[in-house]
Amino acid sequence: MYRYDAVDRAVLADRTAEFRDQVRRRLAGELTEDQFKPLRLMNGLYLQLHAYMLRVAVPYGSLSPVQMRGLADIARRFDRGYGHFTTRTNIQFNWIRLAEAPDILDALAAVDLHAIQTSGNCIRNVTADPYAGAAADELEDPRVWCEAIRQWSSLHPEFSFLPRKFKIAVTASPHDRTAARVHDIGLLLRRGRDGGTGFEVIVGGGMGRTPHVGPTIRSYLPAERLFSYLEAILRVYNRHGRRDNIYKARIKILVSALGAEAFAREVEAEWEKIGTEGDVPAAEIERIRAAFTNPDFLADPSTGDFEARRAAEPAFARFVRNNLKAHVRPGYGIVDISLKGIGETPGDISADQMDVVADLAERFGQGDIRATHEQNLVLPHVRLEHVHEVWKALDAAGLATPNINLISDIIACPGLDYCALANARAICVAQDIARRFEAPEKAEAIGELKIKISGCINACGHHHVGHIGILGVDKKGEEFYQLTLGGSGAEDAAVGKILGPALPIDRVTDAVDAIVGAYLRERRDGERFLDTLRRTGDAPFKEAVYADAH
Amino acid sequence: MPTLIKADAGGFVTVEDTFTVLEDDAPDPGGDVIVSLARFLSGDGDLAAGRSGRLGVRLAPEDDVEALEGRLEGVSTVAVEFPKFRDGRGFTAARLLRTRLGFRGEVRAVGDVLRDQAGFMVRCGFDAFIPADGAGPAEWAEAAGRHRHVYQRAADGRAPAFAERQGG
Amino acid sequence: MRALTANRLSDGEVVFWRAGAWVERLSDAEIFSEEAPAAEAEAAARAQPTVVIDPYLIDLVESAGFWAPVSYRERIRALGPSNHEHHGKQAEGGGAVEALRQAHGAARSSGRVNLIRRK
Repeated sequence: MYRYDAVDRAVLADRTAEFRDQVRRRLAGELTEDQFKPLRLMNGLYLQLHAYMLRVAVPYGSLSPVQMRGLADIARRFDRGYGHFTTRTNIQFNWIRLAEAPDILDALAAVDLHAIQTSGNCIRNVTADPYAGAAADELEDPRVWCEAIRQWSSLHPEFSFLPRKFKIAVTASPHDRTAARVHDIGLLLRRGRDGGTGFEVIVGGGMGRTPHVGPTIRSYLPAERLFSYLEAILRVYNRHGRRDNIYKARIKILVSALGAEAFAREVEAEWEKIGTEGDVPAAEIERIRAAFTNPDFLADPSTGDFEARRAAEPAFARFVRNNLKAHVRPGYGIVDISLKGIGETPGDISADQMDVVADLAERFGQGDIRATHEQNLVLPHVRLEHVHEVWKALDAAGLATPNINLISDIIACPGLDYCALANARAICVAQDIARRFEAPEKAEAIGELKIKISGCINACGHHHVGHIGILGVDKKGEEFYQLTLGGSGAEDAAVGKILGPALPIDRVTDAVDAIVGAYLRERRDGERFLDTLRRTGDAPFKEAVYADAH
Repeated sequence: MPTLIKADAGGFVTVEDTFTVLEDDAPDPGGDVIVSLARFLSGDGDLAAGRSGRLGVRLAPEDDVEALEGRLEGVSTVAVEFPKFRDGRGFTAARLLRTRLGFRGEVRAVGDVLRDQAGFMVRCGFDAFIPADGAGPAEWAEAAGRHRHVYQRAADGRAPAFAERQGG
Repeated sequence: MRALTANRLSDGEVVFWRAGAWVERLSDAEIFSEEAPAAEAEAAARAQPTVVIDPYLIDLVESAGFWAPVSYRERIRALGPSNHEHHGKQAEGGGAVEALRQAHGAARSSGRVNLIRRK
């Protein structure tokens, strides 16, 4: 993992001091709320329904045990003993006091964490493949580039007041676990014909009010030219992105208005003018790369009684089937930790659970913890010999729900229970669906099915790319939910189609049940839900949900 | 006469602002004037030729800064407008003025200019400011000098973290 | 009937107006039946930018002998998040909290008076 040096720490210290002064000026009345709001947002501080909320960056989803314990400490000292992992792989604390926010930033800085640029119209936390450095199918570790982007984008003097927020994803695997095509920029690591490393550059994806699957504007960008190219994209966007309408200000609107080709020409012209002056030197990339080499792998470690226990203990076998993924090294596995316990709030984790995860990462996981955009955690490097012990400890802490990628592994934004922007609740809808499909045999029989719920059109719950998407809307003051089918945030990215009229809250779980029923009737051997839907179209599903309404 | 905060020998001082901002249809009163980009480009020859006072150009956020390429000789100041402090186009304009157009005159930030952006503005090449929040040179210096390190190249010539780390 | 609400600047807590001061329980709030005093209170609240953020009037209906916000959103503000019964104002329980939980009949989502709806 990358460790902060004196420079990185000084940047955090200076930034925290700056925010302390801004908070003082606000409380003293020297700054109006209108002036203060963008400043606090750029430090991740929102005002929600019940209190302030602090969104802490988890840079490219990567945490050390010390950092996880630091988060637990903040949850206990400044919040109510829990935090909420988001679809941006950040963590939010829901019960924050403004006057204490500077102290919290100091506590974060003590473990090399911060809340810089977790909101505001700037370059946000970079999304990386949560299996980076561990996935059997990746070309090289994308976190090298994510860390370089983190530094390049932090307190960027030219690009901190963009038309709107800006999100970048980097993946180096053919299986896209970052939803790269629905980011403002998606960078897919590619091997060049000359054997070099580069990126396919996707620009202008996004969700929200007008979802777009982003087009590729360059099929191969040599990796060493990444930063001049990013500068060119950001400069074209900063100059020409719309600022007259907040709903049309994202880069996706500019790209689709100009057309991908014309946009690409603008970028290329600007890129030529910038030249290599805009690039980060190879020596710095190598310095960062050295931090991500894992020296601690054993050549071919014993797997102990892993296979025997798997054969003897059905519950362990179920955990292994759903929550353990193939590692690039023999004898190792990737352990997914579900934050989707049945009936729990998706993404929520208590301070005690944070400590458990930190301990396990330290004892069995090379001190490496990841957050996923699906609001789960990952221990990316666990020896198979230790998986049983890790499972037992997770189970004791309520963290071993064997449901990764299954129907109860639901993404949900905080919704109207917390969020000042929401139209409807999302958490209770997720809880109700999860309870309906609580029986693990049932969930496994259904197979991969991603339900994503947003409490408003801003789509923090990624409903557009849910296999089943659920969007809370406000119909004359009542909570209603619109269902979409067929979305995907993976390499086959697609925006879901609206199934029919919105349903009242008490009919949503039945509707999901009916959709699942139709799928089980229609599916052929080996088909996932998405495959069946793509083959049959939505008619059988529409019929199943709305038949009794005719 | 209104005042302006100017970068001076590594610090900031208050100076008198001698410039008059001229509307497009207003007659030239002589002395130091700032005109819009459109008026400047329209070839209003009287403005530059035989002028005893100095000349400045005002850039609105939507103006194309590169239209000034090759035409900056004789221009003393470029005033970059921030209609709202959240409108960040002026940062690009200033940076390009310095790095692409090689402008060595004054680049001033006008409009909704707050001390909380002082650091970014200095990095992008601004060296004169008319703050909207009542900040004086001392506050401006504190805000602009807050960060001991920076991560990127910009228009101010500061060594980014990667250069510091390589000992350069 | 109406009440005047805001979030307190220092900690974000949901607060309600009561005769020139701010209280944390809706059941302690001043209830306005007339336009003029409500508007007067709102103007006075707006003049306290270092005490509260964004004060606004909300519509109320009667529920089980208490006043409850018309809108769902405002009831959540007055109670706390529905996924954590022990967090927020609902934690102390009692008749007023129960009345809020039972309240029905949202007429508009925000319950804000004079709100220009974004479209």
